[in-house]
Amino acid sequence: MIRVSTLTKRYGPLEAVRELTLHVAPGEVFALLGPNGAGKTTALRCLATLLRPTGGTASVDGIDVVADPIAARSRLAFLAASMGLYERLSARELIAYFGRLHGLGGGELGGRVEELVELFGIGDFADRLCGRLSTGQRQRVSLARALVHDPPALVLDEPTLGLDVVSGQAIYDFIERERGRGKAILFSTHQMDEVDLLADRVGVLHAGTIVAEGTPAELVAATGEASLARAFLRLVTGPEVPSGAGGPP
Amino acid sequence: MTERVAAWRVVCAKELRETLRDRRTLLMMIVVPVLLYPVLLIVMEQLFLFGLRNLEAEAAPVALVGDAPPLLLRLVEADSALRVVPIDGPPEEAMRSDSVAAVAVFGATGGEDGSRSVTLLYDATSDRSNRARGELRSLLDAWSDSLLLGRLEARGLSPDFARPLALADSSIARPEEVGGYALGRILPLLLVVITLLGAFYPAIDLAAGEKERGTLETLLTAPVHPRSVVAGKFVTVALIGIVAAGLNLGSMILTFQTGALQLTAAIGLEVSLPLGAVLAIFATLVPLAVLFGALFLGIAVRSSSFKEAQNALTPVYMAVIVPAMLPAIPGIDFGPLLAVLPVAGVAFFFRDLMTGEAALGLGALVLASTTVYAVLALRFAASAFGSERVLFGGGDEDAEVRGGFLERLRARRGERGVPSESEALVFVALLAVAFFWGGIQLQLRLGERGLLAAEWLLLFVPAAAFVAAGGYDPVRTLSLRRPGGSALAGAVLLIAGAMPMVWVIGWLQTFVLPVPWELLEGLEELVTADTPARLAWLLLLLAVTPAVCEEIVFRGVLLGGTRTLSPWRLVVLNGVVFGAFHLSFETVIRFLPTATLGMVIAWAVLRTGSIWVGVLMHLLNNGTIVVLASTPALRSTFADPEAPPPLWLVPLAAALFAAGLRILLRLPTPHPGHGPDPTPQP
Repeated sequence: MIRVSTLTKRYGPLEAVRELTLHVAPGEVFALLGPNGAGKTTALRCLATLLRPTGGTASVDGIDVVADPIAARSRLAFLAASMGLYERLSARELIAYFGRLHGLGGGELGGRVEELVELFGIGDFADRLCGRLSTGQRQRVSLARALVHDPPALVLDEPTLGLDVVSGQAIYDFIERERGRGKAILFSTHQMDEVDLLADRVGVLHAGTIVAEGTPAELVAATGEASLARAFLRLVTGPEVPSGAGGPP
Repeated sequence: MTERVAAWRVVCAKELRETLRDRRTLLMMIVVPVLLYPVLLIVMEQLFLFGLRNLEAEAAPVALVGDAPPLLLRLVEADSALRVVPIDGPPEEAMRSDSVAAVAVFGATGGEDGSRSVTLLYDATSDRSNRARGELRSLLDAWSDSLLLGRLEARGLSPDFARPLALADSSIARPEEVGGYALGRILPLLLVVITLLGAFYPAIDLAAGEKERGTLETLLTAPVHPRSVVAGKFVTVALIGIVAAGLNLGSMILTFQTGALQLTAAIGLEVSLPLGAVLAIFATLVPLAVLFGALFLGIAVRSSSFKEAQNALTPVYMAVIVPAMLPAIPGIDFGPLLAVLPVAGVAFFFRDLMTGEAALGLGALVLASTTVYAVLALRFAASAFGSERVLFGGGDEDAEVRGGFLERLRARRGERGVPSESEALVFVALLAVAFFWGGIQLQLRLGERGLLAAEWLLLFVPAAAFVAAGGYDPVRTLSLRRPGGSALAGAVLLIAGAMPMVWVIGWLQTFVLPVPWELLEGLEELVTADTPARLAWLLLLLAVTPAVCEEIVFRGVLLGGTRTLSPWRLVVLNGVVFGAFHLSFETVIRFLPTATLGMVIAWAVLRTGSIWVGVLMHLLNNGTIVVLASTPALRSTFADPEAPPPLWLVPLAAALFAAGLRILLRLPTPHPGHGPDPTPQP
């Protein structure tokens, strides 16, 4: 469903993403794990057609993101880490706006908006301006916004960033549910517990490229470490793991 | 196509909805245009009337110095607006200490039939003094008339004897024309400013604001073309500008036409714009709002925050206000040249519509040129939305290496790069200012030697110091590359072809620009040598020195710092800066020829990667002029700038130029460091 092949993104002399290759099948959750600056956001932005790759290819549902970015976007839900919402639109108006941009209209649009309001528990604040929502509420509206066209592939850039435990759990529930509906889900994170909890497979991104890939258990086994966190640390810092650092959570 | 139409409408509808919920925009769009204007006029009127009453209420103290005649004294004392006060000491001091508003100083009596001098002392910068002087003057006139009458009567002459002409002014302008004339001076400016203010905040909010809040990223993942997004946003901004302008126009006309204001009634201003003129004004405001909307949007989207966009737009705001103020300056006639000047054309057209003198042709020209500018601005805005560097790169490319200039210099030392565009441009600008003032001082004190000193001390030394102290790579910054034989040959042909062409340009200019004859004669004297020693000195002063000192600045630092630009932009910028550097008030005529030469040389240096090519071309150009001027047989041919260049020269020049171009174009591209440098990104 999501296919990335030798994707490279260069900014001048800096190679933010280097020959990245991964694929996510329908009904699969793939976690892109990496420290800050590893190139997670750049890679996801290339996939979401926001950035033009310098080399390599990426496709969503068989549609090349460079050749036909507009068609690719309609197969894809992208949740940006910034979670920006229009402050002077209500939650309901915001979801409807993106619905219209996706070509929905009339009764179909109204029905879909109410469905999402229901699904994400937005009802209580659906008519409040987005500028007055809490972080957790904003994240729920953002998700509803991203899913308004019910695409087969989901790309989530650090979906739980800055959320409390309750709101974070809502995101986990959401990912579980969408996996059950056969969606291909790619999300980035630097939190191990999320990976343990959600991911079918994980790719460790370091300096723009995937240094290890497999199920969480495979990664732990391959590095010979006790936990995923230690395995991750070893992969991104080399074998000399400083003692006491990166213990299990 | 249908997708695009629908998408821009969706974007526009949403932007309008959000904008109408923004109090700041509503204030600028409705409240300011509708209310502030009449309120401002009422306040001004009240202040004016208040001031008038204030001035009239208090009698102005005046003094009569010398032997003032009793009859006049009685007249002054009878005037309620004046109060006679005694003064001691010189009247000027009394005036300075504000104890009197005006003083009449009487000279000696001129005898029975003579004339007596009376001097009125007043302060032209004080309203009170001006009023006292006017009052005193009319009394003196009345007294003078009565004296004259007495003299005439004594000789048995009628009063008309001393008044062979009975003069009276009568303006044929109808009151509404006078009103239109007075308003035509300020109304255009206000209309332009309100249109601008209407578009100002929405443009920032819809572009930079969206980036700052992080919503642009989500918006651009929707399956719509960036063009639809720009179109939707742009239509919103332009609509708001148009609404603001329309409301302002309506409010203004109502304010004046109801005649509710005492001020307009009191000074006989009567304003009634015919419906046709109102419609024409509105029709012109539409492309103006489009122009502002697109221009502001294009600039704002290149900024990463609201504040940054505001900073970037403020100079544009100023640049727009200045041409809009032109109609207020007396003595400027509206013509085709002004009609195509952005914003100024619109403002002048408004003025002429208000005074009822608008010409259809000029109006069409204004409308057409403004539409062209608007389309260009729109393309500028659209290009930003297609560029990921603009959308995600943030405004500042030096983001990682922040801090002051010195910190950046230190950070640069390691990498030995070339100066950035802004560094190079700022350096050249500072150098130009220093050269202008310092050069004048040196030349005044040392004459020709001062000129030589200025070139070396104020151009060469600072440029070398800039490269050394800035830690830049001298070879790359200054294009210090040894040219090959064919590069030199090509350059010689190119400049040999360019010189006559520049001559033709100079000659063509004499049809539109004034020729500064005096200056040219001085220049001719300067470049004409009569002895071999003098010729050698002139070649050193006027050919070798500029070829080295000016090349290191313009084809060295400036060219080295602007290599990130596309080649043609670099070449044009280089020529324009070079031409501007040689500009002064008297020598406007030198700009175009010098700029052209600068462009030709800049291109050759860029193509060959060698500053020596530029030095050679500069040397040949200046040296040729010195040699020609010093050769009596040839001098007469070139002495008169208004004489056409010989016809045979043009095809020859074109052939030489083409040959030079051909040779240089066949050269291999200079070493890799000379391609456009990729800009690092965070």
